[in-house]
Amino acid sequence: MLRQIWIVSALNFKSLTSRFWQSMVIVVGLGATIGVLLSMMSVTAGMRQAYANSGDPGRAIVVSQGADSEGQSSITRTDADVIMDAPGIKKDTDGRPLADRALNMGVPVLRNNGTKGYTTLRGFGPKGVALRPEFHLVAGRMFQFGKRELIVGVGAQATFQHMKIGDHVILPNGEWPIVGSYHTGDILEGQLIGDTETMLTALNRTAYNSILVRLTAQDALATFRKAITTNPALQMTVTRHSDWYARVGDQASGLLAVLAYVVGAVMAIGALFGCLNTMYAAVSTRGREIATLRALGYGAFPVAVSVILEGVALAVTGALIGAAIAWAMNDGHQSVWGQNIFVLRVPPSLVLMGVSWALAVALAGGLLPSIRAARRPVVDALRAT
Amino acid sequence: MKYLPLVWAAIMRKPARAILTLLSVMIAFTLFGLTIGMNATFEAVQEAAKDNRIYTIPRFAGGMTPLPLAAARQIERIPGVSVAGYQNFIPGYITDPKNRVFLQMYGDNARKVFTEYPITPAQWDMLHNERDGVLVSQYQADKWHLKTGDRLTVISPLVKKADGSTTWTFKILAIVGDMAYNTNGYIWGNYDYQDKALPLAKQSQVMNLQVQTSDASRTADIAQQIDESFANSPNTTQSITEKAAFDVSNSGVDIAKVDREIALAGMFMVLFLTANGIAQAVRERFAEFATLKTIGFSDAGVVGLVFAEAALPCFLGALLGVGLSVGLSGMIPHLMPPSMGTPPLPRVTVMVAVWAGLCALFVALASSALPALRLKQMDIATALSGR
Repeated sequence: MLRQIWIVSALNFKSLTSRFWQSMVIVVGLGATIGVLLSMMSVTAGMRQAYANSGDPGRAIVVSQGADSEGQSSITRTDADVIMDAPGIKKDTDGRPLADRALNMGVPVLRNNGTKGYTTLRGFGPKGVALRPEFHLVAGRMFQFGKRELIVGVGAQATFQHMKIGDHVILPNGEWPIVGSYHTGDILEGQLIGDTETMLTALNRTAYNSILVRLTAQDALATFRKAITTNPALQMTVTRHSDWYARVGDQASGLLAVLAYVVGAVMAIGALFGCLNTMYAAVSTRGREIATLRALGYGAFPVAVSVILEGVALAVTGALIGAAIAWAMNDGHQSVWGQNIFVLRVPPSLVLMGVSWALAVALAGGLLPSIRAARRPVVDALRAT
Repeated sequence: MKYLPLVWAAIMRKPARAILTLLSVMIAFTLFGLTIGMNATFEAVQEAAKDNRIYTIPRFAGGMTPLPLAAARQIERIPGVSVAGYQNFIPGYITDPKNRVFLQMYGDNARKVFTEYPITPAQWDMLHNERDGVLVSQYQADKWHLKTGDRLTVISPLVKKADGSTTWTFKILAIVGDMAYNTNGYIWGNYDYQDKALPLAKQSQVMNLQVQTSDASRTADIAQQIDESFANSPNTTQSITEKAAFDVSNSGVDIAKVDREIALAGMFMVLFLTANGIAQAVRERFAEFATLKTIGFSDAGVVGLVFAEAALPCFLGALLGVGLSVGLSGMIPHLMPPSMGTPPLPRVTVMVAVWAGLCALFVALASSALPALRLKQMDIATALSGR
């Protein structure tokens, strides 16, 4: 049986060249479908990746109860001190807790294309860098604590105007110079960073937005959370940093993913009709050839399988071409969506998804034609012109 | 026209192929209708934007950080500014936190700003005279089952009164018309009513200003001038012209371009499919075409037949597909969760239909070109002999 499938399929593929353009319908149809699907998904994947990279399971973030974002949260100085003394926080070499009081605010920026937008200005305390091993200064120098200075992420530099070292950013009560740039490989890369305490004074604010801590171990979250949530003086929520960003990332990219799936599904339906069309045509063109095989004693099943295999091979080829185009056009490109600055990604998992879609279309599109090929009476097929 | 049966017979020679081709084309044009229709909506929104209006908000947006009311007077002193409207708001809900409403509370000069709104002078007078009154647009009235004369009670945990209460009660003065591109409707109230009820520290603050200019050509300059005049003050501003604010590319991505690319990918797909189908049909019936030529059909006639055979599924598919996209976009509001409101919907305007027609024509022409050329160059004797 396997041998028969092999022989019939090999024969199929050898005759493919004579049906080249016809077969290209499947290749092009799925190429376009998967190309569009993966191009759209590269935005979602890139954004999710940036957020996923930002969240370290070994860290936890504290925000005030009910806050969905750092911006909505507010933590007073007194509360912050209590939180940073809680058990479960890893101590730095100097004996102080690896915890950082952070500040967030929206800062208007001018994008490279001339449109106006916002990005996040983030405050780092003395432990801000120690908490984040992913943080690397790439040019210039670190801002000095107590000084009105900023450093800028490489993503922000690539996306916005006036973000070079030496440029100034307008903040409340003055312009702050940019003194360095950094790389983090995550969502922070599209933001600006300054000294929390200096920002607090400049902004006339009295409360922090959030507190980020390094846990003594990944399973120390429960200890830390218990200490915070059982303290009646605090109304705070403790979330593992990776969970926090997974949720934020899903929120930011959810609608885009839905759009990509809808557009992809519509195109896949179109490609399915194209696939059916081609496979019916292939079966009818090869009617006599198939009948001859059947007359020689080849079974109906190997014939049917060979038809499906042909469709699958063409569809997967198309999907891979589409994926390659989507990868070449998008992967690694700096992108911006609202306040999210990130790098577009076409990871292997997306390519795999594209190929699975193509497989599904090919199976659905090859099934009916293969049945027709297998069931057509040999005599009729041989007599047909 | 008299050849229509001939074309029809040719297409129906392989009904399965004809139907599958038609369905493919239809799907591609459904996508076309949705994407290009979306662009039409974006353009209409941009078109409807007033070229003499500027929105001024606090530069460092923290959501609920206000500007002082005095900023409105200060902006009105800038040459070229005719009026600076001001707004505070009450974000809240009706009985259940799920039922979110957003009340915009405008100052007395709002009638000089929002001249394009379907609000009569008498209704504006009512809004100014009855301090606890609100105007509710039809969309919001339908959504919450409100009618003129009803009481509207809104709970707003974020905006507390001086006495600590979060309950705001209003009287509905009138149900007014919606603005086409304000897809979620609006509820407008009286700034002074809210302001007097707020704690002293929160009074005389505004969330945003709507600045009208007297010379539309200078709007962008004036927006910049406003920001400059507030620079280095505790109340730095961020001003954006309505034209820019309503521009979809303001999100940072040229969505209109993405839409066009998606539509193009779909067209590419059907071009291939149709071209192939026609090429195959001509190949299969080569001898028949030779017969037609033998009995006196001209080259142009035969080519016309092939073109008609390609054009019929293209135009029919375009018609059905674009029609389907209209139906689908009508369904979108029912598919969205109520909390998200109504998004802008794709609209099939005349221009979208014209573009769809042109695309269909192009696909039909391009796909019948090569087979037509072959037919034109055919050697009748060879073709008839079946070689």
